[in-house]
Amino acid sequence: MTIDFYWRLPTHGCSASIRRSSLDRGDWSPASPFNQAPGLNAEGEDDGFRYIDHLAEIAKAAEISGFTGGLIPSFPNTDDPWVISPLLARETRTFRFMIAFQPGFLNPVHAARLSASLQRATGGRTVFNVITGGGGPAQLWWGDSFAHDDRYGRTTEFLDVFKGVWTQPGFDYEGRFYTVKDGGLPPLLAREALPEIWFSGSSDAALQSAAKHADYYLSWLEPYDQLADKFARVKERTAALGGEQKCAIRVDLVARPTEEEAWADIRTGFENVSDETRARWRGQATDSVGARRQAALRPTDARRWDELIIGPNLWGGFNLLRGGPALGIVGSYEQCAEQLSQLIARGADAFILAGTPHLEEAYRIGEEVLPLLGRAQPATLLQAAE
Amino acid sequence: MTLTIYWRLDPAAEAHRGEPSTRRPNDLVPDGRTAANLRFDHYTQIARAAALTGFDGLFVAHDDQADDSQIIAAAVARSTPRLLIVPEFPASVGSAVYAAKRAVSFQRATRERLGWAIIRDGDAATRLRGADPIADDDIETRIEEFLHVARGVHGQQGFTFKGRFFEVENGGFEDPLNAASFPPVFLAGDDEDSIQFSARHADVHLFSPAEPDVLHERVERLDRLALEQDRTVAFGLVATVIARESDEEARAAGSADFVGSFDTVAERLSALAAIGITHFLLSSSPQFEEAYRVGQFVLPRLRDRFPALRAAA
Repeated sequence: MTIDFYWRLPTHGCSASIRRSSLDRGDWSPASPFNQAPGLNAEGEDDGFRYIDHLAEIAKAAEISGFTGGLIPSFPNTDDPWVISPLLARETRTFRFMIAFQPGFLNPVHAARLSASLQRATGGRTVFNVITGGGGPAQLWWGDSFAHDDRYGRTTEFLDVFKGVWTQPGFDYEGRFYTVKDGGLPPLLAREALPEIWFSGSSDAALQSAAKHADYYLSWLEPYDQLADKFARVKERTAALGGEQKCAIRVDLVARPTEEEAWADIRTGFENVSDETRARWRGQATDSVGARRQAALRPTDARRWDELIIGPNLWGGFNLLRGGPALGIVGSYEQCAEQLSQLIARGADAFILAGTPHLEEAYRIGEEVLPLLGRAQPATLLQAAE
Repeated sequence: MTLTIYWRLDPAAEAHRGEPSTRRPNDLVPDGRTAANLRFDHYTQIARAAALTGFDGLFVAHDDQADDSQIIAAAVARSTPRLLIVPEFPASVGSAVYAAKRAVSFQRATRERLGWAIIRDGDAATRLRGADPIADDDIETRIEEFLHVARGVHGQQGFTFKGRFFEVENGGFEDPLNAASFPPVFLAGDDEDSIQFSARHADVHLFSPAEPDVLHERVERLDRLALEQDRTVAFGLVATVIARESDEEARAAGSADFVGSFDTVAERLSALAAIGITHFLLSSSPQFEEAYRVGQFVLPRLRDRFPALRAAA
């Protein structure tokens, strides 16, 4: 058994430190002398670089440090993974592009052609993170007025059609949402492997859809017993359908040489959170079950950073420091590795890790934490060189 | 006057070139190519050929039996600084909001070198193969809504629209996404419907080759209709070319819209420029070698006839 470790590309700007939530890498905050990669030099002139160049550096850092690839998230104010992946295809070699997308936004046959073409552009490095949740005003912002359970029904049909045209010449389909007659990818495209499908969603409707189509069921980190139950339930349901479901966790790490250093960064980060940020995260409307499970941790109500320690090396306030899930791992390199080992013991088959800043932390976690997992062969050549 | 000259990459053409699955092992000549050598290497060469030989842009043709035009456009973009890259695609690709979002990402990453060439969908059977059971009569409406929504969410916050094919509520991109400009929209067609449609929606309208006086008439008609809408539309031409050192050699090489010596082809293109056509979308086969030939021998002759072009280059 091996465990794939993915990294994450920050598609909404990045921060130079977990201690401050300002997005001082990229052009999501005003250009200043301390802001990297906004496309302007110190004199305010176009420096020829764009944020994609920073993302290219992170992808390469992840590739060099031994990650399988990286999740490329998609939200209203991010750059888009369907564009980032082909843009970076030719300057990466092994990095797998995990494209987050909502199936309702693309025609399924077009999506199959896009994906097979991207497989051909990258030598088979396309992975999907299919997302269906969200809901609320954000869903209407995207131009999608489908109700929650209908969205999952549509996702299931989308993947029926996506896989159908890819694997069956003369494919016919008559669903609630999609109709196809005599479909099928051309042979040069159809011979590519289907992208691995990572599936998110915590509701029953999501689990049902995942059981049919997902290779990996992806969850944010949750309290370990709760997560182990969820993974067991997903694996059981898929087994009942005659399949096998792998499970994966997306989690942020603050890994430092010592535990004290790690918590000191968390503490500073928490104390720098503005009331405005707190209010913003409290007020978001959603019909996503996963988001509600995270909100139940109530990080926005905490007055002290250590109120949010919910277990050894587990902190529940990450969403205050940057967008996304609340729960993350904090500790020394050894402690972080130990937490990951515990999660593997509870059913995790793969991970998407992240840390701030994404560039330097890709190296740190790849070099300091991942090698502590499993039994590494001695690096004989390097020892001989030293 | 400035001319803008594009080469057209057709992913379905010369399908064997650079295609890993068509390699034939040979017991005498060792083949050192690996799985890392891809058809996309060949696409990139064509794009770079256009960039190196002085074209201003690259169109990427849409063909539902070949690699996707938008994937190719992005895959070659970082190897071709300067070129405007224009994938052709139909409005059936999915959500208009999402299409606009992807366009903005492309613009941000490439210093605004994207164009959109929106083409009409194929026949009814083609559309059904593509999970797109739309009626013939609705295709134009869908393109109209597609462009309206895409430009709407790009251009204004709080954008709301409910049409027959697309809807959005309180949409619109925020800073920094809304700082990138919307890609120029290319539309095509020679009939009255297409011309009227372009008057309302196109930034550049592409005609097919015709006698200069016929083209002149169409150009003037579109110009007038656009003015009535308080808009300006630029005019372009899509043409195949065979250019050789002499007219005889060119004629022997085959048939195309423009066949002749380098001077003859340059002269005929410049005659069209004189009636207001300023965008030329050229192609020839084989598309890699001919990009070099046309770029090296025809474009300088066109530039000689239009000094402003040289300044632009």
